[in-house]
Amino acid sequence: MANDAVSATQCDPGHVDRETVIALVSQEMETAPGTSVMLHPVETPSVPTRVLDAALVCVARFGVAKTTLDDVAGEAGCSRATLYRHFANKAELLGCAFSRDGDRIIAEVGRVAAEEATLEDALVAMATTAARELAEHPALSFVLSHEPELVLPMVTFDAGSQFLVRTADVLAPMLARFVAPARVERAAEWVARVFFIYFGEQAATILMTDADQVRELVCDFVVPGLTNVSSQPQG
Amino acid sequence: MATKDPAMEERLLEAAYACVARFGLAKTTVEDVVKESGVSRATVYRVFPGGRDELLREVVGWEMGRFFGRLAEAVAGAADFAALVEDGLAFAHRAMAEHEVLQKILVTEPDRLLPLMITEQERPLRFITAFLGPYLEREEREGRLRPGVDQARAAEFVAHVLLSLIGSPASWDLEDPEAVRRLVREQILAGVLTDAALAE
Repeated sequence: MANDAVSATQCDPGHVDRETVIALVSQEMETAPGTSVMLHPVETPSVPTRVLDAALVCVARFGVAKTTLDDVAGEAGCSRATLYRHFANKAELLGCAFSRDGDRIIAEVGRVAAEEATLEDALVAMATTAARELAEHPALSFVLSHEPELVLPMVTFDAGSQFLVRTADVLAPMLARFVAPARVERAAEWVARVFFIYFGEQAATILMTDADQVRELVCDFVVPGLTNVSSQPQG
Repeated sequence: MATKDPAMEERLLEAAYACVARFGLAKTTVEDVVKESGVSRATVYRVFPGGRDELLREVVGWEMGRFFGRLAEAVAGAADFAALVEDGLAFAHRAMAEHEVLQKILVTEPDRLLPLMITEQERPLRFITAFLGPYLEREEREGRLRPGVDQARAAEFVAHVLLSLIGSPASWDLEDPEAVRRLVREQILAGVLTDAALAE
């Protein structure tokens, strides 16, 4: 499913957010028709952090559609030529920038989960951390508020199914301490689904950055669906 | 405050829906709706002062409402809450796959359709939540609700999860009744109904 060329690049280890965002920004590609969105291998040490930072500053200011490579070069204080040495186009640059932050957030969610002793505490920590990180990400916030048409096709209907499965793959190792191996994938998908519902909710009935509200949700509805299952192998 | 004329509103939404089915969201104009409905331009703007944008938003919400209205009719005879949720998932999954206009526009204009669906999803959420209410009350009367469960919160939670699953079942095969049964009884309702009620 994930395309190998993407995962194989060294820009960072690709998963959820890279794929999502690359698909997202590919709609904005300025390249010739038929040009693939695959990333060219980029060497990690030479990808300037400030270029990725600058790209996200521009997106937070102008949005994905209106951000140009000139804007990013200006913000980063480098030339367009420098950008092109590392990134084939805007799609690739923004894909790298978003996925770098996505990976950082996933790592942070994994870190806070590992510190907790119970499933319930781990889930509360994971949800509130992810919610806070997402809310405090200016570029993502801009896109979600002003350019939802770029994100929604990646996270709804069939693409939504794939998104949930990929997210579950990321969450499963974090839940492995608490859930039997035969059930961990389905458990992770359940967690991904419930959290995603409330992260995305506009008129949020549950504020996912509020630990007390998340704990209620987790205790009342999420954990029972993880532990109250029969020993039947999931298929 | 303009007086609402539900019959006229319905007539215009039906016409707008026919136009969207034919031309898509981007190409449907107020003029098309005028032609299709045989109603004057002035009347269209009186009922939908926001014009084309309002019409398109409303027509998406209206069709989502109709979809879940049909769903409610189809499952209303279910024996209990768990059976209701199971039947609802199976029916909705099929109905969505067979919804030609939805499936067409999801392919041709997802970037236009999806933001409208998200904006309008409050409508089906409220509808499903309200629809589930009486079934949960009955479970409570019959002692099948897990102790301490808040009916309103449970209805809302289940409505959200159903909406999510109908669009994106992920690893669940909603055409397999045994899988749907496990999904509903082991996950969705695990925190809502007693173990005895779930095991039936």
